[in-house]
Amino acid sequence: MEKKIRVLLFKPGLDGHWRGIMTVSKALSDAGMETIFFGFKTVKGVVEAAIQEDVDVIGFSVHSGAHREWGRELIKELEAQGARDDFLLLVGGVFPEQDHAELREIGIEGVFGPGTATQDIIDFIVEKLQDVEVG
Amino acid sequence: MADSEEIRRGLEDWSSDKEGWEERKPEFLSDAGIPVKHLYTPLDTEGIDYVQDVGFPGQPPFTRGVYPTMYRGKLWTIRMFSGHGTPEETNQRWRMLYEEGETGFSAAVDSLTFSGVDPDQEVHGAAHEVGKEGVPLYSIRGVEALVKDLPLEKMSVALVVEPMTSAAVTSMYFNVLKARGMRKEQLAGTTQNDILTMTIGYIPWGSLRPADLLKLACDLIEYCTAMGEAPRWNPINFTTYNYREGGIDAVQEIGMGLANAVAHIEELLRRGWKIDDFVHRLAFHLSAHRDFFEEIAKYRAARKLWYRLMKERYKPENPDAYRFRFHVQTAGCSLTAQQPMVNIIRTAYQALEAVLGGTQSLHTNSYDEAICLPSEESVRLAVRTQELIQEETGVASVVDPMAGSYYVEALTKELEERIWEYFMRIEEMGGVVEALNTGWLFNEMSKAFNKRRHDQESGKESVIGVNSYTLEGEQPTPPFRTNPNAADIEKERLEQLRSDRNGAEVARLLDRLRKVCEARENVLPVVTELTAAGASLGEITGVYREIWGIWQLPFVA
Repeated sequence: MEKKIRVLLFKPGLDGHWRGIMTVSKALSDAGMETIFFGFKTVKGVVEAAIQEDVDVIGFSVHSGAHREWGRELIKELEAQGARDDFLLLVGGVFPEQDHAELREIGIEGVFGPGTATQDIIDFIVEKLQDVEVG
Repeated sequence: MADSEEIRRGLEDWSSDKEGWEERKPEFLSDAGIPVKHLYTPLDTEGIDYVQDVGFPGQPPFTRGVYPTMYRGKLWTIRMFSGHGTPEETNQRWRMLYEEGETGFSAAVDSLTFSGVDPDQEVHGAAHEVGKEGVPLYSIRGVEALVKDLPLEKMSVALVVEPMTSAAVTSMYFNVLKARGMRKEQLAGTTQNDILTMTIGYIPWGSLRPADLLKLACDLIEYCTAMGEAPRWNPINFTTYNYREGGIDAVQEIGMGLANAVAHIEELLRRGWKIDDFVHRLAFHLSAHRDFFEEIAKYRAARKLWYRLMKERYKPENPDAYRFRFHVQTAGCSLTAQQPMVNIIRTAYQALEAVLGGTQSLHTNSYDEAICLPSEESVRLAVRTQELIQEETGVASVVDPMAGSYYVEALTKELEERIWEYFMRIEEMGGVVEALNTGWLFNEMSKAFNKRRHDQESGKESVIGVNSYTLEGEQPTPPFRTNPNAADIEKERLEQLRSDRNGAEVARLLDRLRKVCEARENVLPVVTELTAAGASLGEITGVYREIWGIWQLPFVA
């Protein structure tokens, strides 16, 4: 049996806009992926859990306008725990298109703004992981 | 005049060859899934008694409006939800809005103020979010700077904070105004203070259990209204807008709102107050969404249902208690980042719904809000949208012009029945607190937003710019950016306050708050002293969390 793609999703910080991440979580599960929704966790806790759970993807959702700050903090924490290149990283939420390039530059490969179809996120994950041994 | 038999025969005759009529879809449904007929006639309003069911504005059952003159007497309040960066910058924005014709203020706060966290607390990197989603109000100094030199004697303020910080932020505001020489009778405005916003609408970090949130919400109602400490203040605004943003429909929106109000009423009655001690000050904040006629019918049905709830169950003596007063915000979730100028048109239609539905005050969204907080230019257009409806369209010259429309009257009745049924379902499961504890309400939300996703992605629900009439190679709108130094400024403000204040006095008062929380007494008197003495939000909510514990949501691991 093919191993399922494992995705860890979380909301960084205090911001409580939860519709987006829950919608994505459901869409990824419906597409056959295994999703873990972490709710509010520190970035440190998320990275620890991602390593422990051996996930393939870490995704986070930001509606607070602090997408760049959280992106940088996630990368810093991954580096600190020696896992900088171990996961495919995704961010979604409400932020300007002008910031997409910067987010990709710091290492968040998948950047999804408002109006993204969940199928585009699914396709992106599948395509990025096709050459990688999942799990 | 034709009798129903004649109309029925006419209708049959007219539609005798309808099998051959081609329609665009096999079935037309309203946003709430109500089947919409081809045509409405007097036959659809046959069961409606004008005097009993529709009546006159300002009179029971208030279907046509809560005041006899409505906008002929007083136009609705243009109240723009606004806040960003620092209190000083928000003060500047508020002045600009005032100069552009706004007639009421409304404070959008940041995520820290919402959750009750200080910027120097090592909680989840809170400092990243200072001033990003709204104005930071962490102590009385923030509120002082926010309202400096504003005409608060003639303009009311809405404080959009929830039970976790409603006592603290409201008391900061009261303390500041009293220091300016205002009496308690002059304090005019609203605190949102809604437990469902804090749970199903938005899930803030470190929330309390539903029963504790309800307790805090009722403390403010008790203090302001029942105890008479701010008799003109609306101590709660049941914000069905926030749950609607999750994707639920008009029936669920009002059904949840009524159930929420009942939970508060019952709690205050349990505390020994009489219904007339507080119920006249309960207010609502509704959404204006995409289905034009259904939204108008929703406002009419909501007024009627509130009247019914009061009349059948609580029987207050104060006639004002039967009036369902509400603010409206146009639907943020209907806005798109794609072709954002289209949002101006969406918002204008939604604003018109609210006006035709008889709202008391209105916020119109700005076209860039699916991307960032609004710029000065976009928010000015949003204010102009309301001014245009007031000044140019003529719709404010007449009260409830939609009455008598066969469709709108039939829809009002249909919604009224469906909402009552939904409300009773929540009542039968033990009310909103129980429905939160069991996770039922979360499940309703989750079903709703997954259905919206499916409908939008399959094209069943059209969203211009996203799944229809899309545009390639759009130039992105220049985003408004909040002050990147806000966190440092606010940390500094708090540090200064901590060195200026009497620390021993604050510690003593925090101890008293602990005892008050343990005894489950009203927190307002001691919180009012605390904020005056310079206690911060994080210190006050820290006591709540310490004594009552943080809520483990029923669905998040």
